This record gives sequence, C-alpha cells and structure tokens, in this order.
Amino acid sequence: MISAGNDIISLNAINIARTKQYRFYSKILSPSEKALYNQATFATTPFENFVWLLWSIKESAYKYLKRNNPDLVFTPVKFIVAELLVPSRYTLTNFEGIQMEGPGFDNRLAIKGLINFGDNTLYSASLLYRELIVSVVNRDENFGNTFWGVKLIGENEASYQSTEVRKFLIDRLQRILNIDGLVMGKTPSGIPIVLNDSEEFPVAISLSHHERFVGYSIQFSEPIKY
Amino acid sequence: MTRTEILIELKKVFAPYTTNKEMLDSINDETDLIKDLKINSANLVDIIIDAEAKYDIEIDYDSADKIINVGTCIDLIMEKLKQDK
Repeated sequence: MISAGNDIISLNAINIARTKQYRFYSKILSPSEKALYNQATFATTPFENFVWLLWSIKESAYKYLKRNNPDLVFTPVKFIVAELLVPSRYTLTNFEGIQMEGPGFDNRLAIKGLINFGDNTLYSASLLYRELIVSVVNRDENFGNTFWGVKLIGENEASYQSTEVRKFLIDRLQRILNIDGLVMGKTPSGIPIVLNDSEEFPVAISLSHHERFVGYSIQFSEPIKY
Repeated sequence: MTRTEILIELKKVFAPYTTNKEMLDSINDETDLIKDLKINSANLVDIIIDAEAKYDIEIDYDSADKIINVGTCIDLIMEKLKQDK
C-alpha cells in the first residue's frame, strides 16, 4: 500500500542555543547518527541545522509509516538514520523565492538518507537551506513517483497554515491530473486523504507546516507524467 | 504533588508553544497536544526539556513517546517523581 511522508523546518524558528545542548539533541539523535555530522561535506553546516535535518527525516519516516499503522507514536531516537549522502557539490545557500515544487529530486542537490525503524527500511531526500529544511520519505530509493512542494506564506496562524497547505496541494494535484473537484479529507485516525466525489482518491499525501512555511508530498502509484 | 497541581504547572509549560491559547484554560486528560493545542511537533522536545527542568526529573528516550495528551504527560511526570523519591 502506498504512503507518503514529508516534513519542513523553518530554521528561523528554532532555538539555536537549546538545540546545541546535549540534553536536547540527545533526545533526537542516537550516538551513531552524531557521527554522520563529521562528514567533510557538512563542514559549512551548523550543528543545529544538522540536528533539525535529522528530525525532519525522522518525522517524515514516522508519518510515512503511521498511515498504515495509526497507533504508531513518534520517538525520534527509535528512527535510525543509518546513511546520509551529501552531494559533493552541496554548499549551504539561501532559500530563494516564494515556492518550490517538483517531481522527484533528480536535478537537485538533495541529501539522500537511509532510515531503519524496526524491520522497515525507508529512503529520504532532503533539501537544506539556511532558512529551511524540506524532507520527503519513500519506501523506494527512487522518488520518480513522488511530487512535493514548499511555499512561504503570509502568516503563521494555525488555521491559515492549514488552509494554505491544503490549497497548495489540491491546486497542484488537479493541475498534474488535469481534473477538478478534488477536496481534502481525513481518515478516522486523522490521516489526510484526497477525496473525489466523496471517494478516496488513490494517492497518498502528507502535509507539513512550520511558522511561515508549508509543504506537501504526494505519492503516486506510478511515475508522474509531468 | 497531585494530578491537579501538575495540571496547573503543565499549562505554564505548554503556554509558549500552543497557538490555541483559549483551549489551554480548559485542558483535561484527553486534550491532545498536537491536534487540540496545535503544538507543532517540532516543539515536543522543548516541552520535554521544560518539564524536566520544572519537575527536576529526567525523561528518557522510551518515556518520551508518552507525550501524547495531557493525561499521559501527567502519568509520566507522576511516575518519574515517584522514582526519584
């Protein structure tokens, strides 16, 4: 059964001093994961950004698995990021513009990860900027069936974030499929779904918001013709 | 420390992180931190750290997954306070 998991972090909203404290980051990172930070390619990346990168990967993995296991609870240290591959050309830059969307991550300098949780192995793709982290998780190493987006919005009020992220996703999905009338719904356990004429539409979706950023991922059952 | 006393203090822990200030006044055991209080999941570790400081307890990795609703938070704090006696 397909699923989707994404997460975004607004790095302007994090508490840098607190993130650097052992008592804080040790609740997110396991000792083996801290060693991943020592890769030369992270030389220009502040440690606090690395901590939140791993948080976003783990939260995305949790969302991915929760869809088909509604009772799952999120304990970051139980999701183990076993590998983290940073593109050799990667450097930390600013997030430019208002929004960014795309199918997969083939033409982007995405940080690729491998996550273990119990018997599950998942793959992640993350974009890390000075202001923002975008992470998407998939069961397959190939993200060709995944469409994702992130957008800067005008306010950080909860209902506004919720409305904006839903509109952002539905607008894009309707354009990809060239149909209209899709609406958002929720399963009884609170998992977001897309409805078409009150029937669940066969895609898996994931939503995220943090401060003035909202983001989504859509997982299709076959490659996207876009 | 009674459940009611912990509840009163917990409201102060949640206050900086909730965007649903109105609901904070009427929270009960069933109130969900993310769904009802609209606390961003990125702040859950902040809440654990603040609760550790307020009650002088340590909330370990395995216990952290009990931070779901107000009732489970109170259960966890009472359990940790009892252990530290």
